[in-house]
Amino acid sequence: MSEAAAGAVLPGRRRWQASRIIRYLLLQALIAACCVLGLKQSLPEPPAEYRLTDFRMLEAGAEHMVRLPHFTAAHYPIDASPRFTMQFVRPADQAGHAWSVFLPRFTNGVEIAVNGTVVLDSRRDPAANRPDRNTPEIADIPAPLLRDGANDLSIRLFVWGPIPGFLDRVWVGPDEALRPYFDLRTMLFVTLPVVFASWQAILAVILGIMWVMRRHEPAYGVLAAAMGVGFLQAFLQTPMGETPLSRLNAIVIASAPLESALVLTFAMLLAGLRWRRWWLVLFAPGIVLALGGLVAGQSATRALFPVVAVPMVGLSLAIMAIVSARSALRQNNVASFLLGCAVTMMLTCWIVDLLSIFQIVPNRIFTSRLSYSAMLVAIGAGLTWRFARALNQVDGFAGKLVAQVREAEEKLKQSFAREEERARAAALARERARLMRDLHDGLGGQLVSIVALSERGNGSAGIGEAARAALRDLRLVIDSMDDIGGDLMLALGSWRERAMAQLRPHGIALDWQIATAQGLPMHPELRPWHVIQIVRMLDEALTNAVKHAQARKITVRIETVAGTGGVACGCISVADDGKGFALPAGTLAAGGGGTAGSKAARGLRNMQNRAARCGIELELSSAASGTRVRLQLPHRFPDSDTATD
Amino acid sequence: MNALSGDTPTQATTVLLVEDDAPTSWRLQDALTKAGYQVRAAGTLGEARAALAESAPKVLLTDLQLPDGHGVDLIRETRARFPNTEIMVISVLGDEGSVISAITVGATGYLLKDAFPTDIAATVRDLVAGHSPISASIARFIVRRTQASAEPPPGPPLNTTKLTPREIDILWGIAKGFSYAEIASHLGMSRQTVPGHIKSIYRKLEVHTRGEAVFEAVQQGLIKL
Repeated sequence: MSEAAAGAVLPGRRRWQASRIIRYLLLQALIAACCVLGLKQSLPEPPAEYRLTDFRMLEAGAEHMVRLPHFTAAHYPIDASPRFTMQFVRPADQAGHAWSVFLPRFTNGVEIAVNGTVVLDSRRDPAANRPDRNTPEIADIPAPLLRDGANDLSIRLFVWGPIPGFLDRVWVGPDEALRPYFDLRTMLFVTLPVVFASWQAILAVILGIMWVMRRHEPAYGVLAAAMGVGFLQAFLQTPMGETPLSRLNAIVIASAPLESALVLTFAMLLAGLRWRRWWLVLFAPGIVLALGGLVAGQSATRALFPVVAVPMVGLSLAIMAIVSARSALRQNNVASFLLGCAVTMMLTCWIVDLLSIFQIVPNRIFTSRLSYSAMLVAIGAGLTWRFARALNQVDGFAGKLVAQVREAEEKLKQSFAREEERARAAALARERARLMRDLHDGLGGQLVSIVALSERGNGSAGIGEAARAALRDLRLVIDSMDDIGGDLMLALGSWRERAMAQLRPHGIALDWQIATAQGLPMHPELRPWHVIQIVRMLDEALTNAVKHAQARKITVRIETVAGTGGVACGCISVADDGKGFALPAGTLAAGGGGTAGSKAARGLRNMQNRAARCGIELELSSAASGTRVRLQLPHRFPDSDTATD
Repeated sequence: MNALSGDTPTQATTVLLVEDDAPTSWRLQDALTKAGYQVRAAGTLGEARAALAESAPKVLLTDLQLPDGHGVDLIRETRARFPNTEIMVISVLGDEGSVISAITVGATGYLLKDAFPTDIAATVRDLVAGHSPISASIARFIVRRTQASAEPPPGPPLNTTKLTPREIDILWGIAKGFSYAEIASHLGMSRQTVPGHIKSIYRKLEVHTRGEAVFEAVQQGLIKL
């Protein structure tokens, strides 16, 4: 977005932008004001008649009067903890009622004694030991301890930092009058954080899985980590003594800056910023704090916390506020806008908490942590909702896609069918052309011969022979149309039948020899026109033997021989025992040049042409003992019929 | 592949010849009469039915394309009424389209219209003797149908599921041009049993009843229920 250029061209736009910023800021101010007003509302309190405010405080050997709520120093040795004492009166008519001591807020721990007997030590309650939680305490006073009239109440306040000690007002009275107020505070400041924490745990798992499945969206992973840290810190306890385990636990204190760094990273990613390596600097305070806790013990961590963690949280919140505001204003990012509002609330809470720490406001209810958990839960829920909506969109998109694919498929099918139809038509046309040529070569010529014979009027025997030859050729053409699957033996089987029928009236025997077991090798590339050429050559050889050689026996020998280069080649030879003939000079050598006079010569030339077209080696030998035609088939028949007659 | 011999039939065998082309009919009649057969000729389906009504012939020779109907109907009727009558189809080309459709309704052989007179007589004689002729191209057509294929092959429907492996081997031998003797020696059987096997093949390819035809069409996936 080129703000400057747009502003130069459109001054109105800049004004509009400025008004937007002002409106945004006003809204944030309103939110902050609401927060302050809300925080100023004090929680309901038990009846004032049971409230105790004026205590004698014993501190470092000196005794003086204080009025609760009271702030103390930030640290005391355990054995020099300040003691607050006073006397309260239990009216005689209350003897049958159970009485309690209610402490709504204190930092960090208390030990309550009534009439010299300890009734409560909050240090044994881990949840109460966390200064960031506003844990209340209530102590039942055993009935035998209480006397009618004045009773002694003594409260020892344990303060171990990092913030000044604090003791809010104390209520002593009938348990039924105090307990509801204790329960309310427990729900708000103990139970609610646990609920938030478990919610965070669930979201941590969901977001973690999302990130694992969608690694290109690190925002999910970062937020999952923030949720995870938030969950862990809610359930780890603040250690009291110095043990190796307590040092590990000290890391818990480091969770606040770590979390704030994680959430800040998430906010920047959400605002559309690209991850930079220097963002790791944001994690430095958290790591320093964790290492400090691990190496130097928890006291060091406590000392570091106010100077490292608290400013880090504030800084993170401030950056988040700016980044979110920028993204919300510039990119109309609704998520950033909502985040910005939440950050404003948190920032307000943080400032109020800070004021409380510095004792500027007479109150110690920390709300940052609570508002932060609530915000994280809201963000997690929002992201999950966004993800679910995206899934719905994907579903819709997928549905649309399926419909489109089906449509495209339908179109493709149609065009494919058209294409197939065209291809089939083309194949049919080619086949028809071949058929025409084959019929022309054989049947046509024979029919013309029949016509010529019938016009001469005296050659009826010739007509019969020519017509029979025509029928034979017709059968050959039809037979060759059948797909024989590359097995030439199937075509030769049919030819044998026709040859026998042809030779029978002439009294010529047909000796059919299959010299090798399989006969001829298979030729997957064999096409009908190859078959026709081969069978016509065999017919030619047969006709020559019948008509010109006066043979008594014709031997057809089928075998597989080793051809050139050692590859197996089929070989068919037709031999007769006739008188033989003189080969016309030049016929074989020149491929049919000169003596076109004799019928035999034309037949030979035809055979040569056919052999050439199919890549067959034709060998002709004739002697007084007979004629032999040998066809050596190629290893592979040529694909296209390029030769012309 | 016809086993030829010079014997003449000892008693007059009756032949009903159904052929609408007069010269062809004369030619076949001549060849059969000279060989000693008692021939009755019919030119149409109607005439043929009338002749069948009179008496049952030993042999029925019929063309498929007749002026008033199709020879297949005549073959089916004759097979149903006269189981002992041998039926042959007369074909110009001996192509599988005509021969196979005739075989499935009960024909057990075919005769080429231009066959030499001696061959015509010999073929009929062999048929009466129980030897059905089969050509290489018909054998090839049948064995190709025994091979599984994804889509129905072109040509008339044919159920080959009843054929035994031995019968398919015989058909392969015939398709590749082997003589009966060669086939018999290859398969280790007597040469005399080959024609019987071929007759059995014809019988197995026959669709006997309408119900069976439907059943077999369903079996072969030609009809979807």
